[in-house]
Amino acid sequence: MMRSFLSAHGYTPGPTQRQFTAGATSGLLATAPAIAILVAFGSLRVESSILHLSIWATLGAGWMAMAIAGAIYARLFGRAANHVHGGWIFGMGFGFALWAAGAAMVLPLISGGQAPAGDAAIGVALSMLVWGTTLGTLVPFVHEPLHEKLATASQSSLLGPNAATQKGENLPKGRM
Amino acid sequence: MIRVVDFRKAIIAGIAGAAAMEVVLRGFVLAGLPVFDLVEELGAVVLHHPRLIGWAAGLAAHAFVGIMWALFYAYFFWSRLKLPPPLQGLVFAVIPALLALFIVHPQLTLMQMNQDVVRVSASMLLGTIGVREVSGILISHAVYGLALGSFYTRPVGYKAGDKPGMAQRKLLPKRRRTQLRQSRGFMFATGIECSYPTVDNGRWRRDEMESCGHYKRWAEDFELAREIGVTHLRYGPPLHLVFQGPGQYDWSLIDEPMADLQECGPEPIVDLCHFGVPDWLGNFQNQGIADAFSEYAAAFAERYPWVRFYTPINEMYVCARKSALDGEWNEQRCDDGAFVNAVFNLALASIGMTDSILQRRKDAIFVNSESSEFSQPCCPDPEVESIAAFENERRFLPLDLIYAHDVSERMRAYLREHHIPDETFDRFRKRKVPRRSVLGVDYYEWTEHLIDREGCPRSLGELFGWYTIAMQYYDRYKITMMHTETNQTDASEGSRWLWRQWHNIQLARSNGVPLVGFTWYSLTDQIDWNIGLTEALGVVFPVGLFDLNRDPREVGLSYKHLIDMYRDQPDYRECKPLKELMQ
Repeated sequence: MMRSFLSAHGYTPGPTQRQFTAGATSGLLATAPAIAILVAFGSLRVESSILHLSIWATLGAGWMAMAIAGAIYARLFGRAANHVHGGWIFGMGFGFALWAAGAAMVLPLISGGQAPAGDAAIGVALSMLVWGTTLGTLVPFVHEPLHEKLATASQSSLLGPNAATQKGENLPKGRM
Repeated sequence: MIRVVDFRKAIIAGIAGAAAMEVVLRGFVLAGLPVFDLVEELGAVVLHHPRLIGWAAGLAAHAFVGIMWALFYAYFFWSRLKLPPPLQGLVFAVIPALLALFIVHPQLTLMQMNQDVVRVSASMLLGTIGVREVSGILISHAVYGLALGSFYTRPVGYKAGDKPGMAQRKLLPKRRRTQLRQSRGFMFATGIECSYPTVDNGRWRRDEMESCGHYKRWAEDFELAREIGVTHLRYGPPLHLVFQGPGQYDWSLIDEPMADLQECGPEPIVDLCHFGVPDWLGNFQNQGIADAFSEYAAAFAERYPWVRFYTPINEMYVCARKSALDGEWNEQRCDDGAFVNAVFNLALASIGMTDSILQRRKDAIFVNSESSEFSQPCCPDPEVESIAAFENERRFLPLDLIYAHDVSERMRAYLREHHIPDETFDRFRKRKVPRRSVLGVDYYEWTEHLIDREGCPRSLGELFGWYTIAMQYYDRYKITMMHTETNQTDASEGSRWLWRQWHNIQLARSNGVPLVGFTWYSLTDQIDWNIGLTEALGVVFPVGLFDLNRDPREVGLSYKHLIDMYRDQPDYRECKPLKELMQ
């Protein structure tokens, strides 16, 4: 239901939008407060031990994954992600979904059934909610200056008089 | 924007749902039933504190979660199912219930352990929960859903008689505002959607300017119109909010926007009545609206003497039809007598407003916009053909009245049947139509109808096109014309539709039709027009040059492309029919 809503014709980004860039940038920025929470709850240390990675490698991998997740969020939500008032709740929902999938399924799967518990588990959940909320809040503001300007975007020949024709259909050779 | 959400209502609904859920849970606990006490578990996680403080913390955390789910419901679920609101909430509650069972409960268990890492398995996580606990979770979430659905209704519009929040953003600094040159050429227009009918038998006010955020973002909207390059803006100040009683006006609502339009453009085509009347006037069955509207028009023209273009009443036929024949707006009547009465009241009001304005501004130009309608009989069935012929005449009735055009004997008989004597009609025939009148013909993909074998209209889509239908209007009245509204409901087809309409305009001009303008309606997306505003759902109708975040749609870019391409062409820079009107 949510997917059908988001894929409706009215929400696809237009030619002036830079969804992936805005989402990835916001995803990167939103990772900073999330990491602070992970550190505060001791979750970063626990995750790195579960993944058998150093702290720095865990941070690097996490940052990259969150940038990709941010780009996916912005593309998935399309025009809706630019909504200043609703963005934070979409982002929080996305963060919750990532936590639910990551904490309940992905992490135990790739670590042979190990999962954070106690305060570390609280830190993981909280960090994902904060990451999502920050991501959703940031996207409209990060995206705004990235939009292509009306004056240049409107010059595309695809937007000109030929747009009136049946899309992709030319008259057979020899006609006219 | 996905849809318009009423945050205040969603927050109240979320808290109400969480409270109702807690009452049920506490009832289970007091009854000694083994339940998964979500509030207590949340409290233990938040504060690590048992008893009252832990319970209070859990309650607060749970109310917060309830609000988040309510907002999620409002954005993604509300009105997606054709069910009464409480049942919509009930169905929705399945989602948080399943997540509580399979994600939240196991994770809360992990969070309360006194170790950093555990080896997890399905039996470990789900083994602690039995059938009774599952039942408790499902029942309590069902209660949450029912409460949520009951509280969250009608996210758009407001109770008739109320006033919407009008907080306005500051104007952009002058140096950042585009200064628009005053155009005397072909009118490239758009509009701010401004319908304000009542529904629910006059109890609920739909207000598109409020739903689309224009009251708060008008300065930004005008700047976007200037950026696109439009020369004219169809603009309808909210009659129901400004005109508060005989001789009482609240101009403070529109003084600033009007001043901005005067200073920087685009030049407004002021729409004085758009599908609704102030509460104190009731509805379009009221014989007194002609005098009241004339008074309003006079006051408006005195307040804003620089305004030159007026649409006294927008789409009179559609207004009368939806209010008095289809039972959807305002009086919500479904009979021909009420329809005829509404048509005559609207026509009288339009004439009275025109005369009032002309007394104050002799060179005012009147753009009488009307929805083009056409009915095609499906088959050689005399009854079907008769229905189509009648509808093809009835569509002209309001325009016939204001343009002093005669009607057929069949239409006269129809009017007599509904208590309009010939003398009343003939008084309209004697009217001297103002020379500066422009017939505005709107066109949408649903304005052409096929009358099927049962005599019911079905949408034909774009079969004959604007040119063919508009020519039927032109042949009848022979006056200057303008394409005053069009849009496309499928945003991905917007550019195509725009250019096809434009090619219709070019064809009409090349055939000598005096055409003075073209309008993409509207500047931004609209709300609930897919259901004709009949229910307050808050669903975005993606037809704007910009979406409701004010991000451009493809058609917005195409319109700019079109305007940039044509506005300096000799035929468009100097629009001969418009110059003649202005002389």
